Amino acid sequence: MRELAELLQTGQVSSTELVIACLEQIKQTDGVINAFLTVDEQGALEQAAQSDARRARGEALSPWDGIPVAIKDNISTRGLRTTCASRILRNYHPVYDATVVERLKQAGLPILGKTNLDEFAMGSSTEYSAFGVTKNPHDPARVAGGSSGGSAAAVAAGQVPWALGTDTGGSIRQPSSFCGVVGLKPTYGRVSRYGVVALAPSLDQVGPLAKTVEEAAALFSLIAGEDPRDATSAGAPAFQVPRWNAAVVQGLRVGVPEEFFSSGLNAEVEAAVRRSLRTLEEQGAVLKPISLATNDYAIDTYLTLVTAEASSCLARFDGVRYGERVAAPDANTMFAKTRGAGFGAEVKRRIMLGTYVLSASHYEAYYEQAQRVRTLIKLEIARAFEQVDVIITPTTPSTAFRIGEKRNPLEMYLSDLYTATANLSGICALSLPCGYDSQGLPIGLQIMGDHYQEELVFQVGRVVEASVERGPKVEV
Amino acid sequence: MIGREEVIRMATLARLELSEEEIELYTRDLNSFLVSGKKLQQVDVSGITGTSHAVSVIHALRRDEVGESLPREAVLAEGPEVLDGYFKVPRIVEGQE
Repeated sequence: MRELAELLQTGQVSSTELVIACLEQIKQTDGVINAFLTVDEQGALEQAAQSDARRARGEALSPWDGIPVAIKDNISTRGLRTTCASRILRNYHPVYDATVVERLKQAGLPILGKTNLDEFAMGSSTEYSAFGVTKNPHDPARVAGGSSGGSAAAVAAGQVPWALGTDTGGSIRQPSSFCGVVGLKPTYGRVSRYGVVALAPSLDQVGPLAKTVEEAAALFSLIAGEDPRDATSAGAPAFQVPRWNAAVVQGLRVGVPEEFFSSGLNAEVEAAVRRSLRTLEEQGAVLKPISLATNDYAIDTYLTLVTAEASSCLARFDGVRYGERVAAPDANTMFAKTRGAGFGAEVKRRIMLGTYVLSASHYEAYYEQAQRVRTLIKLEIARAFEQVDVIITPTTPSTAFRIGEKRNPLEMYLSDLYTATANLSGICALSLPCGYDSQGLPIGLQIMGDHYQEELVFQVGRVVEASVERGPKVEV
Repeated sequence: MIGREEVIRMATLARLELSEEEIELYTRDLNSFLVSGKKLQQVDVSGITGTSHAVSVIHALRRDEVGESLPREAVLAEGPEVLDGYFKVPRIVEGQE
């Protein structure tokens, strides 16, 4: 991206040329990959022309003015179709931009289009999209991961330099890991959620996906910071791309939680992550074995809270103010028919589970219990960060699985086993490629940092990145 | 065990029309979910308060200032059915027309 920014700055390439190159790559590859739900060819070309005109006048809005970006389709874009990969919103055109989109436009980034996801971000493979699965660019028989699978695959397939995703339990990091790109789940509240279609408001965060750590940091710098329209962002610091300094790892205390390296972890994934850990040690980091025993409860806690919050949030889709409606003579029948026809199977499953755990007779035993276990998880993470500066784990227990392989929903939920803890405790976490398995599939490494420690996490990520050999080039 | 009647009751609460197959499917799913819920119930949380917010912040208030609203026409344009500047819905309250 630094190269692209320089090429734009010196006039060796124009924003229009970049957008045309992206559109061409999408035409060549997206018939197979299916990363995009909407490509805004005309809008992106217009924004690129405006960017080129600004550059010609010497009035670039930012160093990245003119570099196109893709947006996950649960983030509102004014006038540009936003479906959440759901039938119920298939013709929905938001009346306003999400704050993150507004900020990218203010930095001069043309919006190339909207990327595929699991319906309402509920899933880990994009197989639950109402508009078809996104294929992994490294092997089209395999999933790209999810729920931000479209954003991860688009970056990996060279369709766009960078993209935004959302992460509620791993939805940026897991697809980044599967597709061999870099993805950040920021600290809860550091990025505005205004205009992002909520899945679980106490867990959701917007974050960047890109090819390199530096690019992810640059995109993050454009979206981070307080927004008066999202009260949970109150006091959140902005972010600037740091001066890179490999010396940060000297004396760095790296927590290695044994629970994340236990049975169920693929041997090749473990070997790659441990190799990166040794590299850090050779450069002066101190590896500290730690225990995060509460991770054993993370998925069950996550599942209870996410279904409860989702069932409440999705009550707004009732066929009254936007979206599709199925006509009926009375209101309650209209609501039920509209929702029954508009939502897919996984969304209905989560609404049912969420309604159950929130119902009067089960609230205490399930929802309140999960909130209290969440406190235990949070406390354990806080204690860990008294002893260590970062925590390093695999991002996922395995590399990308085959399309159709995980038929049991509970099995699907387990692919968030190593990622949900960061959402439950609100800390930041970065996933980046740390090698490839014997089938040529990317392996992801996760660096978790305490609240607002994104800069440190990026610094460490950059050192890991520099030590990892480039894998096989994606051929699509 | 969660029975079929309870599943139908949940679907009614959630305003969600389900087919016969879906009722069967979600009866099975709710029951398998109960197993993982039971695991959480084994955890000792005595003396622990629940977390509803991941990062503790002081309650945030902003100045009460009049801002810009979304244009009415644009908002109504997304409605499935509108009439005279309002969203139109089927009858909610029983009674005479």
